[in-house]
Amino acid sequence: MHGQPFTLKGPDGAGRVLLGGDLNAFTAPRGSLAGMLVKSGNKEITFDMSGLVGLDLNGAAILMDLEKTLGDLGVRVSFEGVPEEEKEIWELARDTSAKIPDTSPPAPLGFIPATGKMIMDFLKDGYELTMFFGEVVIDGIGLLLRPWTGRWATTLKIAERSVVDAVPVTILVGFLVGLILAFQSAMVMQLFGVDIFVADLVGLAIIRELGALLTAIVLTGRSGSAFSSELASMKTNQEIDAMVTMGLSPVKNLALPRIVALTFATPILTVLGDMAGLLGGNVVMVAIGHPVAVFWKELSGHLDLSDIFTGFFKSFVFGFTVALVGCQRGLFAGSGPSDVGEATTLGVVTNIILIAILDSLFAVLFYVLDW
Amino acid sequence: MGQDRENLISNDIGKGVARDALGYDPNALPLEVIDMTVAYPGQPPLLEGVSFKVEHGEILGILGPSGCGKSSLLRHLVGLEYPRRGTALVLGEDIFANGEESLNRARHRFGVMYQSGALFGDLNLLDNVAMPLKEYSRLGPGARKAAAALKLALVGLSGFEYHMPAEISGGMRKRAAIARALALEPSLLFLDEPGAGLDPVTATGLDHLILTLSRNLGLSFVVVTHELRSILTMIDRAILLDKTACGIADSGTPKYLAEESEVPAAKAFFLRDQEERAL
Ligand SMILES: Nc1ncnc2c1ncn2[C@@H]1O[C@H](COP(=O)(O)OP(=O)(O)O)[C@@H](O)[C@H]1O
Ligand SMILES: [Mg+2]
Repeated sequence: MHGQPFTLKGPDGAGRVLLGGDLNAFTAPRGSLAGMLVKSGNKEITFDMSGLVGLDLNGAAILMDLEKTLGDLGVRVSFEGVPEEEKEIWELARDTSAKIPDTSPPAPLGFIPATGKMIMDFLKDGYELTMFFGEVVIDGIGLLLRPWTGRWATTLKIAERSVVDAVPVTILVGFLVGLILAFQSAMVMQLFGVDIFVADLVGLAIIRELGALLTAIVLTGRSGSAFSSELASMKTNQEIDAMVTMGLSPVKNLALPRIVALTFATPILTVLGDMAGLLGGNVVMVAIGHPVAVFWKELSGHLDLSDIFTGFFKSFVFGFTVALVGCQRGLFAGSGPSDVGEATTLGVVTNIILIAILDSLFAVLFYVLDW
Repeated sequence: MGQDRENLISNDIGKGVARDALGYDPNALPLEVIDMTVAYPGQPPLLEGVSFKVEHGEILGILGPSGCGKSSLLRHLVGLEYPRRGTALVLGEDIFANGEESLNRARHRFGVMYQSGALFGDLNLLDNVAMPLKEYSRLGPGARKAAAALKLALVGLSGFEYHMPAEISGGMRKRAAIARALALEPSLLFLDEPGAGLDPVTATGLDHLILTLSRNLGLSFVVVTHELRSILTMIDRAILLDKTACGIADSGTPKYLAEESEVPAAKAFFLRDQEERAL
């Protein structure tokens, strides 16, 4: 880089510092000038600016910051000899910054207020989700009473997008989880010669638990997040406002089609995921030397209807939850551009937490009911 | 620049021309556009043979009805698109001479304010303005803060340093965007429709801010606009773009364009054939 380099000579015994050259953002010296000047031990420092050949607002800001930093350290600073050409910019900078009020960044909340705010936010979220759930139920009943008012074409389109397009990933995840589960348990069970029970372990775990759980998590990532971001960006574009002022209900027109689609689509996906998981388990069984039929025979001996029912029932509830939370977060988003991302993140997090909680509740419920 | 000041600048820099810290000749024209063709890839050109100059301290207007290619011309001038033909010189140097390298160098010498302000939503105003300084200058945190606060004060936003862009009004966002464009002390500022979406009072305030900055700092401006009021208050000279002419229909002072120019585009733009069109 050409240009006149910035130079600084001194301070001498009387605390005079001679400035020279060009002072701007690109020529400013690296490192702390204040530290160097304080070390010199002078209690008063005078900057002689007569050697400066160029000064801009950034350069002036550097000098004024130096004045403030040194002042805080107990060193008095004065400036003199401003060259004629730089007077205007220097005075503009001095006058302008003299009028800047002393603002400081808003202090972060203390521990107790922050905790309080977190709890209030949590309660507010819960309240909003509950209210939304109520609205969905009411509009859902309305839909059942007058099914011809439903947005069935949209519902079908959403179901297609959420189910058909999610088939490959669901099958892949199901298959791999079945495979891993079978492989890990087979290693231990072989030690005791009971590797035949791998079939039961994999089968029961997948059909009762993992099939529905994994599908719900895949759908949270694929569809729930899509619902949040779609609806939140409609909010940003004032499409939701437009809908409301035309007397149309966003819950009925936007949320219900998504919720209905996902509630009925999730069980189908879950069944596909289950089958892929069983297939994965079967592959491991075959690999450790059992004929294909053994797996199915062993499994059908221990599997009863309640196992299949629990998995199926859970997948309905999970599908409903994923869509409900996804839509709620979208519709309740703020209306700024960054709110779309926030709504999506919150939707996914809420869904994963809710699914984990619901799954545990179901485990207790089915245990008590002895299913 | 005075005589003795020139003598102070060392002579080992090519041909005795004074250079600024980035190696530019500060006395060269802030902007010179030469025979530029504005076109998007795979589409017919929007404008052809566009040539004009911007003097030091001048506020140049780019005028024309919506859709005539004002924003597109601006995108080419700031190097967001490459011109199909012709080029632009900033302080005498071709910004397209060798790809991104010369563009990035030139980008330290001009600032841009976009139509929406385009502040970074996750940073407060102070950090928005300090961002280019953090990336490109040697300023430490304290000096960066002082410099950013100074720029915000210049545009009348003192006291709002720690506000987020979403918490301030549209007019304030545009002011903050101007402060950010000023961060690296450019000699030239491009503004795309500064008054768009603002009420007349706020828009006029912004026009006056631009005038003041141009006077106090000797800044040159290229302002895209189609608002008659701000054209008449702040523009020194303007080029009028026209779709049918596929280029500059006419240029001159706003007074000339508004009252004397016989070009149909100028008459239409300044509504001088209103009576005929009303029929
Ligand atoms: N990124 C782009 N790619 C292709 N065409 C574009 C692009 N941006 C704008 N255009 C077209 O260029 C024309 C001029 O647009 P623009 O420069 O925005 O006009 P103005 O700012 O004068 O209102 C319009 O017809 C628009 O459709
Ligand atoms: Mg435009």
